[in-house]
Amino acid sequence: MPRLPDRLDVDKADRELYDHDTISKEILPGRTRKEQFLFAMAVGFRNQVKRPLDAREGFFLAKDMRPEDEALIDTVAIHDTGSVDVLFDRVAVFRIAEEYAHAGIRLLYDDVTSGQPGSFFKKLELELFSLVEALDSE
Amino acid sequence: MRIEKIILTNYRQFRQVEVTFPRKPDTDLHFVIGTNGTGKTNILNAINWCLYGDEPHLSKDSQRLPLMNLKTIDKTGIGKDGDVSVEVWAEAEQGAHITFKRQALFRKNDDGQMMHQGTKFEVMTNDERGNTNIVTDEDASAWVERFVPMRIREFFFFDGERLDNYFKEATGQNIRHAVFQVSQIDLLENCVERKLQDTLDDLTKEAGKANPKIEEARTKLEQVQGRLDEIRKRVEECERQIEIARNKVAEYGEKLKGVPDIESLEKEKQQLEADFRETKGLLREKKDEKESLLLESGNILMLWPAIRMATQLIEDKRRKREIPPPVDKGFLEGVLRNETCSVCGRSLDDSSSKRVQELLREVELSSETAHRLIQMENPLSQFRDRVEEFEERIRSITGEIVKLDKVLTGISLRKNQIDSQMAGYDEERIREWYHERMKFEEIRDKNQQQLGGLQVMRRDVEDDFDEAQKELDSELRKEKKAKGLTKKVAFCARALGVVKSTREAMMKETREGIERETRKQFSKLVWKKATFGDVQIKPDYSISLIHSMGYECLGSVSAGERELLALSFTLALHQASGFDSPILIDTPVARISDVNRENVAKVLCEVSTTKQTVLLFTPDEYSKEISGFMDGRASGRYSLKLSRDETEAKVEVL
Repeated sequence: MPRLPDRLDVDKADRELYDHDTISKEILPGRTRKEQFLFAMAVGFRNQVKRPLDAREGFFLAKDMRPEDEALIDTVAIHDTGSVDVLFDRVAVFRIAEEYAHAGIRLLYDDVTSGQPGSFFKKLELELFSLVEALDSE
Repeated sequence: MRIEKIILTNYRQFRQVEVTFPRKPDTDLHFVIGTNGTGKTNILNAINWCLYGDEPHLSKDSQRLPLMNLKTIDKTGIGKDGDVSVEVWAEAEQGAHITFKRQALFRKNDDGQMMHQGTKFEVMTNDERGNTNIVTDEDASAWVERFVPMRIREFFFFDGERLDNYFKEATGQNIRHAVFQVSQIDLLENCVERKLQDTLDDLTKEAGKANPKIEEARTKLEQVQGRLDEIRKRVEECERQIEIARNKVAEYGEKLKGVPDIESLEKEKQQLEADFRETKGLLREKKDEKESLLLESGNILMLWPAIRMATQLIEDKRRKREIPPPVDKGFLEGVLRNETCSVCGRSLDDSSSKRVQELLREVELSSETAHRLIQMENPLSQFRDRVEEFEERIRSITGEIVKLDKVLTGISLRKNQIDSQMAGYDEERIREWYHERMKFEEIRDKNQQQLGGLQVMRRDVEDDFDEAQKELDSELRKEKKAKGLTKKVAFCARALGVVKSTREAMMKETREGIERETRKQFSKLVWKKATFGDVQIKPDYSISLIHSMGYECLGSVSAGERELLALSFTLALHQASGFDSPILIDTPVARISDVNRENVAKVLCEVSTTKQTVLLFTPDEYSKEISGFMDGRASGRYSLKLSRDETEAKVEVL
């Protein structure tokens, strides 16, 4: 049985992006590392971009995840591999999540640092409404 | 009577000054023009000091200085004497002359201070045959009373500023007092009424000696009278306070007309600022809530394809009954551990053991995965719910945000309105006016309450008085020995009643005369003749200025118009007084506008045809409206000049 990883990692270079004022104070103020990570992962997934990590660094402990957090990374892994079998391999599940987050945080950073101040949530709202609309039409 | 000249010796700014007031055949008008500080008002003080021994118009600067001229003090040696004197030379009827002279004697002590040694006041009169008579003390004062009585001097020698204040405080009582003084009814009261009252008291006391019951009733009446007098005084004081407060409330009301209520506006602004802060806080909370919802729902919506796929796979596995797993993992582990089949009891051979191990591996994988998939079911279901609720929740929060934004816009608009309402006003001053008005409203209300109580008390004590009077009358009637006295008492009481009603009738007549004359003079003085309909002095002696539209407007006229009314009233009092003594006004037109100044000049010129008129102007007051009309009519014009070291003033004839 593969070893159970106790933490989720980010790329060393990403820590600077997570700690950037625009992200840590304006976009994700008061959010935990886990919440920052999951949002970055969602952005990466939404854009279908994932990048392998160059240099790993622990970001938060796996035990801090609630069932709904685990469900999110599990669904990403299932979607990415096309099989539920991946769930047995927690290393693989975590790696997939980490790679999406690695790509996602860069996209997020580029987006918020190039856009107008205050426009991030407006854009997010519009995007989410368009997603909901797409769901309704399915 | 008129003033021929005044001689000032060592009096304040004046070391040795003589001002003569020669009259023209048709007018007796004189000006003294001086800038502030040259001693203009001290000429008014000098006349008062000479005649009455006081200086009622002394400025704060002059109050700090000695009576004696500073240069004279400087030149006086230690231990040497010096004096200050003021002489007022008056011309009486048929060429008779009266000289009033007051002299204060001083000695310089070792510290250089001028120590007062005494004051002399004497009056020298010359009759038509040239005989001179010198009188002092009471006789001298009697001459002053014939010239300008002390009690009414304020209507003859006064400051123009006083005119404006005249109708501001206790108007009714001021006017009653003035009418009482100038009509000389006080002579009737002092001489006849008081004498009769004393006689009545003496007679009653005498009757009391004959009968202790009469004495008892008399003492009781005296006590009740004392109480009644006390209450009447308190009622009068209360009424005076109410009147002052009412006038002040009206005065501040007038000042505040059209002026924003700064205090209320500031309170409202403070409240708005608090509301703004609170609403801003609520708005921030709502925006945070919306942002949190966007982030949380954003995760789910962005991951929705993955969530949907996982959900479908789980549903498939449920349908295929792969979840939960068909074989229990613990059962297979037990078979391997015991090397015996738990179903048939047969020992496991190698091929069976391998098959169970393979089966276990398959089941182990499926069981872990199935366990995770089962764990996922509940969160995935929650994600679905949240996606369904997302739109409605966002719209609801957005609606609340829009409402709060509107509230903030409303608050900002109102704050801006208040700022523009308050702009350009002296907030401190307006606040002070509001406080003053509130203070006088409180004084008025408090005194009105007190007055109510006092009026009830007065009625009770008046009943007690009538009762005590009846008791005394009854005792007097019972006593045969006091029969003669009773008649005398009754006569005195009747006489007293007649005197009192005569006094009231004279007061009424004088009041009506003053009212007519005030109306006439005001109509001449005021520029806006069509604005004012009438001037009335009511039976309670309150003065009313009636607007042509019929409403009372004394409280709302300008300071200059109020001053003109007071001048009209003063001129009317002069006429009613019967004294043809001179009128001397300091700064007569300081508050009067240019348009009204010419009218004032005309009226004073007219007054000067029958009465000596001395006007003390500042150069600013002596404007073209005044000089243009008066210069040709003036009998004498003087200018006051101060020496460079400011210790001595000189008078120059213009």
